[in-house]
Amino acid sequence: MGVLSRPIAEYQSVTTWGEGLRNQWGGDPLAEEPEKLHALEAFCEFVGEDPDAIVGRCFRIRKADGERVLSTKWRTHYAEKIKAFRVQPSTDGPRRAAAVLGFLIHNGVLIQA
Amino acid sequence: MEYQELIGSRRSIRYFEPDKPVEQDKIQKILEACLISSCAVNAHWLKAVVVKRADVSPEDLEMMKNPVQALVIALAPVHIYFYCDLGVVNEVKGSRLKQLVDAGALNPTHGWSHKFVDELVYPQILKPLTESPAYPIASAFDCGVAANQGLLMAFELGLGACLTAFNAEVVARYTKPPASWIPLYVLNVGYRAESPEAGGQRPRPPFEGQYFLGQYGKPFPRDPKVVEELKRSKMLQAPAPLPNRKQEIRELARRLNLPE
Repeated sequence: MGVLSRPIAEYQSVTTWGEGLRNQWGGDPLAEEPEKLHALEAFCEFVGEDPDAIVGRCFRIRKADGERVLSTKWRTHYAEKIKAFRVQPSTDGPRRAAAVLGFLIHNGVLIQA
Repeated sequence: MEYQELIGSRRSIRYFEPDKPVEQDKIQKILEACLISSCAVNAHWLKAVVVKRADVSPEDLEMMKNPVQALVIALAPVHIYFYCDLGVVNEVKGSRLKQLVDAGALNPTHGWSHKFVDELVYPQILKPLTESPAYPIASAFDCGVAANQGLLMAFELGLGACLTAFNAEVVARYTKPPASWIPLYVLNVGYRAESPEAGGQRPRPPFEGQYFLGQYGKPFPRDPKVVEELKRSKMLQAPAPLPNRKQEIRELARRLNLPE
């Protein structure tokens, strides 16, 4: 299982992703297109972190007012990781990277990579 | 395309064919449309620098992105950077108004003469205007009028376009604007990857809340017969989202390798 301590679909951020996809497109895209989950799983292995940890790092608490805001530092970090992931030897690198970006977007993390 | 259909068919296009170049003559026609727009005191504050995306280094393109326009500038093959030249009024000092006098557009019937421009309009109205805090606002309004004319021309030419903000500092490495130019918006131009309907006419606030007759608070009456007429002329079109929009976006996402 590598960096994941349980099946990937059980992580809260993955549940959120699935809900977002269902609301946006209808059906159950994560069930209908398992390659999306495979892509996220591969990315987790690539960065050595589980999905909740990745999303968690993308936010920080602003000291001034206690507001939860996006972390520029970690967004930049993951943007670079996604770029590297995209060009990994694989026939579908761009699609797999797009799946990871979608996972982050549905968790409120806009990353352009 | 007829004018009413043209303005009704315009959409902010956000999906472009990234590798399909835009012909130089079409870019020129967009700029020519800007140039002949209505313009206060014939000043022509709007300046534009055309940059082909292919001429921008990948590193700089990354730095030009912000969270809301990143994909648009990455897909659009042509970026037309619009600036407002705040220095133009004091550069031309009324000479463009005198051109209008000579051209018969401004006439003695309305009080215009070279002497009127030289002794009153420029020194007593225009020059003080340039020192007013409202000057950039008025100038930017004029630029918007001109830019919109270019925007509509893009659609008339079968292109798609979308106005977005831009990172002035990074873009300036390419456009090298004079100090008197203030950055406005970039017109992203290219061939549409999405359908001409682009999902339908976008939601707008109620007409009656926007426009008034006589005074604020008295809505301008919206005659349903006029609305029907505008539907027939295709200025008012089927509202978004059209039934196939999600399918269209999904197909675009897959073809262009975008997140869903």
